Amino acid sequence: MAKQEEDRILRQWTPILLRSILIAAMAVLGAGLVLSYTFAPDYYVEHFQAAQHGHLIGKETLGLLFERVRQGNPHAVLTIGLFVLTLVPLARVAFCFILFIRERDYTYVALTAYVLAGLIAGVLAGRIG
Amino acid sequence: MLEILINLMTLAVGAGFIGAISGLGGGVFIVPALVIVAHMPMKVAVGASLISVVATSAGASVAFVRDGWTNLKVAMVLECATVTGAVIGAYLAGVVPTVVLELLFAAMMLQSAYFTVTKRGDDIVAKGDRLSERLDLSGEVADLSGTTLHYEAVNVPQGGALMVVAGLMSGMLGIGSGALKVMAMDYVMHLPLKVSSATSNFMIGVTAGAGALVFLARGDIATTVAAPVAIGVTVGALAGSRALAHFKVESIRTVFVIILLLVAVEMGWRALSGI
Repeated sequence: MAKQEEDRILRQWTPILLRSILIAAMAVLGAGLVLSYTFAPDYYVEHFQAAQHGHLIGKETLGLLFERVRQGNPHAVLTIGLFVLTLVPLARVAFCFILFIRERDYTYVALTAYVLAGLIAGVLAGRIG
Repeated sequence: MLEILINLMTLAVGAGFIGAISGLGGGVFIVPALVIVAHMPMKVAVGASLISVVATSAGASVAFVRDGWTNLKVAMVLECATVTGAVIGAYLAGVVPTVVLELLFAAMMLQSAYFTVTKRGDDIVAKGDRLSERLDLSGEVADLSGTTLHYEAVNVPQGGALMVVAGLMSGMLGIGSGALKVMAMDYVMHLPLKVSSATSNFMIGVTAGAGALVFLARGDIATTVAAPVAIGVTVGALAGSRALAHFKVESIRTVFVIILLLVAVEMGWRALSGI
């Protein structure tokens, strides 16, 4: 497969991938902000002031998070929106990885695999630490 | 509520715009603004800043990649170096005193500012070296006038070494270190400045994304702060990335120097005030 074809696919599909995830994240974040007003009018200001004093919600399990989303909890919805946003860089490295496998460009398969492994190791190290 | 939201978003739009054009991510403005103006603790500011870097990177890259400013292959090669540095950095954090790192970083920024002031335009080389040809790192980009600019890359190992340092700094200090990335591509690898800044923008999202995921998983992100910042920064970055082609290389360099000095002051301040 010609290098030009590989570059063309990358340049065409990377922005589409980025834009789709961004739109999804922005929609969830926007909904979360609207919810924080309808949930309780003082919710937003109270949480903002709590953050100023260093009080954060803290660790929640994924199950609890989804349960709270179902209840319409604004913090949970905003957290999901931020999770979706942080998937953008990971998703595009994964996309490149798959594309390079398909194109049999093994130098780049190795390079992107290394980046992916490093990222996963980093996240896991951070969670343990 | 509305007043806080509008203030946060206005700040974020500006940070995203400048972050996208300079390739530095915008965290430089978010951290001091949140700490000094909004009286947020450092931890909340760093969390929001990580999110803002991811958003700037994603928002700006939509147009940068499409228009060919981002060199995806250079980004992927150098990301290996950054990730290596970041993982080592994450393990080393706590071993090396942060004060030393912050002062070192401030000194590096001052030196970068000096280099940037003394440099004019782009110094593109006509032929890449063997390694960069093997990795197919050359690129072409059409400027506003329609003329196609062909550029080559050189000194990949040296650029990579600087990227390891950039990654180390990111891992240990929780910063994007986009300034070092732009420097490595612009100075060492002789890529055009706009290509360097767009490619840096693309890369900083990866390390910041990993950092942000850790913060999110730990519940260490103040969503009421980070969410409006993320929205504002994305809007700013989308606008900034479309404006890049209209800017002269020299004006970007001026913006870049101002930001480098700001980072130097910020890091010096962080080191000396013991935050």
